[in-house]
Amino acid sequence: MDVVVLAKWVPVTQEEELKLIRGEKAVDLEEIPFRLNEWDTYAIEEASRILEAHGGTGWVVSLGTEEADTALRRGLAMGLGKGALIETEEELVDPFERAQIFKNFLEKKGIKFDLLLSGVQAEDDQFAATGGILAGLLDLPYATMVMGIEEISEGEVTVLRELEGGLMERVRVSLPAVLSVQTGINEPRYVSVTGVLAAAKKEREFLPVDEFSEGREGRIEILKLEFPPPREGAEIIKGDLDEVVESIFEILKEKGVR
Amino acid sequence: MSYALAVGETRGGVLQERSLDPVYFSDKIGLPSYLLLPQGEYDPLKGLCDKVLVSSLEEGDFLSPLNLVRTVEGVIGAFGAPSLILFPHSSFGMDAAPFLAGRLSWPLITDIAGFYRDEEGMVFIKPLYSEKVHAHFRLREARGVVGTVRAGAFEGEGEGKETVFERLEAIEKDPRREFLDYLEEEVGDVDITRAELLVSVGRGVKEKENIPTFEELASLLGGTLSCSRPVADRGWLPKSRQVGTSGKTVKPKVYLAMGISGAFQHIAGMKNSEVIIAVNRDPSAPIFQYAHYGVIEDMHKVAQKMIERLKGQG
Repeated sequence: MDVVVLAKWVPVTQEEELKLIRGEKAVDLEEIPFRLNEWDTYAIEEASRILEAHGGTGWVVSLGTEEADTALRRGLAMGLGKGALIETEEELVDPFERAQIFKNFLEKKGIKFDLLLSGVQAEDDQFAATGGILAGLLDLPYATMVMGIEEISEGEVTVLRELEGGLMERVRVSLPAVLSVQTGINEPRYVSVTGVLAAAKKEREFLPVDEFSEGREGRIEILKLEFPPPREGAEIIKGDLDEVVESIFEILKEKGVR
Repeated sequence: MSYALAVGETRGGVLQERSLDPVYFSDKIGLPSYLLLPQGEYDPLKGLCDKVLVSSLEEGDFLSPLNLVRTVEGVIGAFGAPSLILFPHSSFGMDAAPFLAGRLSWPLITDIAGFYRDEEGMVFIKPLYSEKVHAHFRLREARGVVGTVRAGAFEGEGEGKETVFERLEAIEKDPRREFLDYLEEEVGDVDITRAELLVSVGRGVKEKENIPTFEELASLLGGTLSCSRPVADRGWLPKSRQVGTSGKTVKPKVYLAMGISGAFQHIAGMKNSEVIIAVNRDPSAPIFQYAHYGVIEDMHKVAQKMIERLKGQG
């Protein structure tokens, strides 16, 4: 059972004030911390478990700047065997372009797999599309929002897909297949910083994106970025901690829930 | 005449309301909308769209992305290529839209939340970076595009269209993906949809060891503890306590959101609460756009102080 995982190195913007640059066409990420995309952590864990149970080769593949090597090392520290970084300094805003590059990479390197896993989405652009487009380009069966891989047998896999309102569906997919993994599917193993550092000794390839650029032209482009137009928004309760807490109690009392 | 192909969904034979999001978006663009659905009867749709195209496939087969490509090819064969193929931004839409875009080699824009035209053509607005930035995308060349539409992003023109119902010719199924069955969620220990006061914790809770503090706070207030996705994902609270699209939709009298940044999927599950109070130390957290009251402060400090006061009074 050979598994390829796509892993993205992403900025962590949840608690950051963002600045727009380059004529409002990009976000200034200079001071923003990066990490392995949360969804991809679950995909790597799922791949490692499959390899532990069934044997085989596990690849972690990333597309990004040289810093994305940390994403590879994390994947290797979590149990995958081989890493490849397709290096580019460009921000690729169109998931179609990313998918085309991955397709070219897999074909040119002759990498065979039974399962290709990605996260459902990346934290930064939230496109939720690279895995699905890649499956389409490769004409391989696809399922996203995967919340469980129940059974892997000869030539097929049974997966649970998360739907809305607590509902799930069970689908059978023939192999090879592309699956996009939802957070919460497993509990990703802990790897220490030293573990990630030690993985620097493991096998990795660093390849320029130009080798895999055939037909990659993006189909969409960013005209501009803007901050969402403010809604009415919250009335901000000001004051010291005591005053703030007092105000919360008053609201609760007013609504009759205390 | 060009048209927009909207792809809708049923679950357990019930037409899902989100199927209309792509139809309303077609209205906004100003194109006739053809709504594609699995086998079934759809009389209530009369007036809402220009055509209802009913597939020969049953729900489970229809919703497979692989079969959907074949169904769409059939539609293109019968009616010509649409200008847009639109899905709800749901589990189904996220499954089928990218795959279809890859098969057709069409551009894709997901989670479309706004739209306008400039002198060069259509512009699609999509949120990025945990809702903090809106990107305006345009196509590099004028051509067909696949999209998923955010729930409630567009309002329809209402009824009044002369809806034509058409049954599509049967297609052969792609055997490489097969629907087996649905699984209902296990019943949880408490029903958060019945609570009048929800104390809801998000990523800001940081560690499992901090959960009991918020449990205590909820219980001292006579409320119930709920959570956002990251807390349930880590197994710190059961899935039955999760508020949001994939969890529960709640409308308590008061929703006290602590350390929740406000992803759209979460907002969709709680926005109809009577009063929303958000506590978050990040003043740019999107939740403050939706809350009635905001407290820019560390959730742990606020919880400690509230508990102190509640115990002091008791």
